[in-house]
Order: sequence, then C-alpha cells, then structure tokens
Amino acid sequence: MKKFVFSTIAILFLISAGRVTAGDISVGSVTPLTGKLAVYGEGFQQAMLLAADEINAAGGIKGNSFKIVFEDNNSTSKGSVSAIRKLITIDKLPLIFGPASSSNFLAVCPIAEDNKIVLLAAESAAASISKCGSYVFRVFPSDLLQGVGVAELTKSLGYKEVVLTYVNNDWGVGLAEVFKTEFTAAGGKIIDELPHAEGKTDYRSEILRMKSQHPKAIVNLTYIKEGATILKQAYEMGLKVQWLMGSASKSAKLIDLAGKASEGVIGTYPTFSQETPQYKSFKAAWEKKYPGKKTPVFGEYNYDMVKLTALALESASSNSSDDIREALLKVSKGYIGTTGDKSFDENGDVNASYGQWTIKDGKISDYK
Amino acid sequence: MTGYYTQLIVNGIVAGSIYALFAVGLAMVYGVFKFINFSHGELITWGGYLALMFSSPPIALPLYLAVIPALLLTVGIGLAQDCFVFRPLRQSNPISILIASIGLSYLLRNGIRLFWGSDLQSFNLPLSTGIIFGDIYITRIQILMVLSALLFFSILYFLLTRTLLGKSLRAVSDNIELSSIMGINMRKVTWTIWILASVFAGSGGILLALDTSLDPMMGMNSLIKAFAAVLLGGAGNIWGALVGGLFIGITENLSVAFISPDYKDFISYGLIFILLLIKPRGFFGIAGGVR
Repeated sequence: MKKFVFSTIAILFLISAGRVTAGDISVGSVTPLTGKLAVYGEGFQQAMLLAADEINAAGGIKGNSFKIVFEDNNSTSKGSVSAIRKLITIDKLPLIFGPASSSNFLAVCPIAEDNKIVLLAAESAAASISKCGSYVFRVFPSDLLQGVGVAELTKSLGYKEVVLTYVNNDWGVGLAEVFKTEFTAAGGKIIDELPHAEGKTDYRSEILRMKSQHPKAIVNLTYIKEGATILKQAYEMGLKVQWLMGSASKSAKLIDLAGKASEGVIGTYPTFSQETPQYKSFKAAWEKKYPGKKTPVFGEYNYDMVKLTALALESASSNSSDDIREALLKVSKGYIGTTGDKSFDENGDVNASYGQWTIKDGKISDYK
Repeated sequence: MTGYYTQLIVNGIVAGSIYALFAVGLAMVYGVFKFINFSHGELITWGGYLALMFSSPPIALPLYLAVIPALLLTVGIGLAQDCFVFRPLRQSNPISILIASIGLSYLLRNGIRLFWGSDLQSFNLPLSTGIIFGDIYITRIQILMVLSALLFFSILYFLLTRTLLGKSLRAVSDNIELSSIMGINMRKVTWTIWILASVFAGSGGILLALDTSLDPMMGMNSLIKAFAAVLLGGAGNIWGALVGGLFIGITENLSVAFISPDYKDFISYGLIFILLLIKPRGFFGIAGGVR
C-alpha cells in the first residue's frame, strides 16, 4: 500500500476558487492532479474536499470558512517543489498537505522545514520522513513500525529463535534494526542475521547460510521480487521453515513468482478497523457526497489529515505556523480518526495497528 | 559442517560453469579481434528472453524446442553485431570499437526493456525440490548447467584441435594479416567466432534464466564476472576462461562461509586483485590468440 512512486512538473494553476480572501482560513495542498498519479490524486482531493465540506457545514474555523488551495505537481518531485514554493511564497500559507509518494514528499520536506511551514503527509511511508524535521507530520504509519509489527507477530507465533534477513538498503536496514530491538527486548534471540542485496536473481548462498543454522522460522524483511526468489530457491534447496514477512511483500505478484513456495508465509500489514463509528460515518458521508463511487485508496488518511488540521487551526492561538504546529501536537493526542489513533509522537509520526496476512491455497488472506 | 562446505563448492562449480560459458565468447572475440565486447552481455540476455518468448503464448513451444529458434536468433544478433558495427570499425582505433560496443550494449538492453519491460520475468517451471545426495542439494537445472558447460567445452576442444576450421581459427588469432595472406577464409573464421560466442552466451543465458529469472540487467551483471574470468585466465585464452570462471564461482561461494553473502563479490574480486598482482598475465598468460 505504499511505495507508490507518486511523482511531477508544476504548471501552476488553482483548482478551487483559489485566491486567498479575507474571512477564509486557507491551507495548501500539493496534489498529483495530472501525471501518472492523477488516478490517485483525484481520490485524495475528493476525500479532502469531503472533510472540508463537513468542517464548513459545522461552522468553519473560528467563524471563518475553511479552504484548501490545491496545487498540481504533475506527479513529479520537480513539480512538487515548484508547487510548494508557490504555496509558500505567493499564497503565504502556514500549513500545506504534502504530495503523495515518499520520493515527492521527501523533495518538499526541506523546503517546508526551512520556511517553517507545517507539512502533513497522508500516504507517504518511507522511514526517512520521520527525520524530516519538527514541522513535518504524517497520519500514515511509517514503514519502521512494521519492524515492531513483525516482532510482535514472531512472538505471538511462539518463535524464540529466528534467523533475520533483510534487503540491504536504508529501508531494510532501518526495519531490521527496529525488529531486532523489539524482538530481543522481549527475550527473543536472533541466531543469524544477514542482509541480502536488492534485485539479485540468486540468493542460494544466503539461503544456505540460513539453512546451516537450522532455524524454525526466518524473518525476511524484503520486497516482492527478492522475497519470491528467496522463497523459491529455499524451496528447491529443501529449506522448510516458517517465513515471516512484512507488508512490502504482500502482493499477488509474490504468489505469481514463487508459486507454491509462497504457501504458508505469514506477514503483517498496517490496517485499521472498518467497524468503528468514525469509519462508518466517513463511509456514509462519502456515499452521500459521491454516490456510486468507491472510497479511494488512502482516502481515509486524507480525510483524517484534513479533519485533524481543522481541529488544530481551531485551537491555535494565531494563524502562524508555529502556533499551528503546537496546536497540532496538542489536538492529535488521543484523536481517533477513521484510520485509528492519530496521536503524533516527537517525530510527527502516528502509531498503527497491524493486521496479519498469510498465503493459503495460492491466495492472500487474513491470518487468524 | 563438511556438508555445508561441500554444498558451497557444488554451488561454486555450478556458478563457475555458467561464468565460463559467458567468458569463453568474450575470450575468443578478444583473442581474434583484440577488443573487449561490452555487448556480449546482451547476447546472454537476449538468449534468455528469446527462449521465454518462444516457450510462452502465443508461440508456446515446449522448452527444449524453443531453445532452437532462440539460439538461432541470438546467433543472428551476434552476426549482426559484427556485420553492422564491428566490421565497419575493424580498422579504426580500439577506443572507437570499445565505445561502439558499449553503445550497442545499451541499444540491445533497452530493446529488451521495450519489448518485454523491466519487470522480472520467469519461465514458471513447476517448482520442485532439488535432488539430494547425502547433504547436498542440487536442482535438475543446475545439473544441466554443469553438463552443458562440459559438453560445450568438449565440442570446442574438438573443433579447435581436430578440424581445419578450428586450426585456421587459431591461426587467425595468432596473426590476422598473415593468415589472410596464406589464404585462410577470413569471413568463415569471423562467422565461426561470432556463432560460437553467441551460442555459448545464449545457452548460458537460457540456463541462467531457467535457474533463476530474467531481467534486462542479467547479462550486464554476468558480464562483469565473465570479464574477471577472462582476465584471470589470461585474455584470449579459452581454457583460461574456463579455469577463471570456475575459480571465481568457487571462491565467491566459499567466501559465504566467512562473510555475509551480500558481500561475497568482495572476497572473489579481492582474490583476483591479489592474483593479478602476483601473476599479472593471468593463469595462462596473455599470449594472444585462441588456444
């Protein structure tokens, strides 16, 4: 559900009525309305507008109407940079919703931070976003949390000793660190730990080394292709273990590539309950405003982001970004949105609850 | 634990035979034409992808039949490389040929991206557990890889030592001008070299793809190993390429016992570096010519 390589070139134009007028409280949004992410961008925009409508119907913010100034980024990082510069320097907005896709988001992070503009993300998962700075928040769980999720899964399945392997890049190493800390703190033991390179076609040496440790379970934090190759070659080499994986490999493509070798894999993925009153009311509102349309990918996160922003603007003592930042930290504490608890930690990250997936009879299903 | 080391050596031999198959074409081309063909890696990739094309719908030949048109087309690409790029440049300076081969490599690789996309593909062979000998696992494909390398090198040995064509090939690589003065049919020799190089690379590519999977970079990645094998064996020396390939395959796999597998290239290339410091001309010396 992440790693959407959401991207951009900015042609600057205003979508909604645009100009900031007195009596409005406006925030900006860098959204992929053209380019390859436009197919998602439209859904994000609709979800944000739904939240804005509800805010205005409930009396706006401090009696002013709430407005989102949308700026297209053409789905590229270059466009994202131009778009955010325009929102900061011309529209002079104190708070901006950042673009989708971690790479685009990371491109605008330093600009927001330098200008002390509050920047929010609704669908960017890269762990490095946590280090963006104190003005950056996201309502979407960081990839790093998966490390915790997998550690909990391992414990709950009763494995005390595991072999750990992970893809050797920033993402994999970061994830593995979190897993290790969590797992060993809970009394688990990592028998062997080995990184594997991204994109290789032969992991037999790695598998052989895993095998020489005779593990019962192997935690494999990797992507789809690498995961499939490892599963397949391990099967050929007669390595029979319980594979535990993260959400980055949760894909039908894994089954396509690895076939029956993928059978029985168990993994985690970030999820939220669709049974909460918050979710149900969102769903009802969505169906009322956009009849016949399915709720978009990450729509719930975008909706939560706008709702939370409105609360912060309401309670902020002024419209300056520093005050908004303070207020955002305060109002988020214990805030339950459609996607669960949105309390920001010191990095501006939220917690997440994790579901468990498994592969059974060649299909991905929930593990129970 | 001995089982572990034996398994590592077996894996090394399997990897090494494939490296050797790739290296021999490179060595032959170098031996005769005196340039390093960077687009050799693409013959590997094209071999694999063409076999995939002929074995999947709409053509859907059984794999053993699909190999034939795939190799024929790979040979076609090999000959076309010579005909359209290397032959016109034969008299120009070595740098132009080198750069042309790099350019050709990009062209062919991106051709693959254009036709098949960058995504990983595989033959989707039914998955099966390897054959077990004691503690050692080996898959049928891996056995096939070693056997093919043995077969190909035997044929090559026979060709070079027992046939007139092979002898003229060796003569040409010793001295290209003198050989043509002596009436050796240059065209025939040139064709033979490109056909052999393409068949070796293409078959290696198909085997590698069957063993693992296909991606447009597979040839380029293997080419680096093949370069090292050629260098180690002594440029232009076919048997050197075989020994070099096996040496790299075995050292890189054995190194896994000591360092993280992700860094196994570090050990093998480190060793090559040291070996070349001691024996700068490779195991068999850069004598020039195809031996």
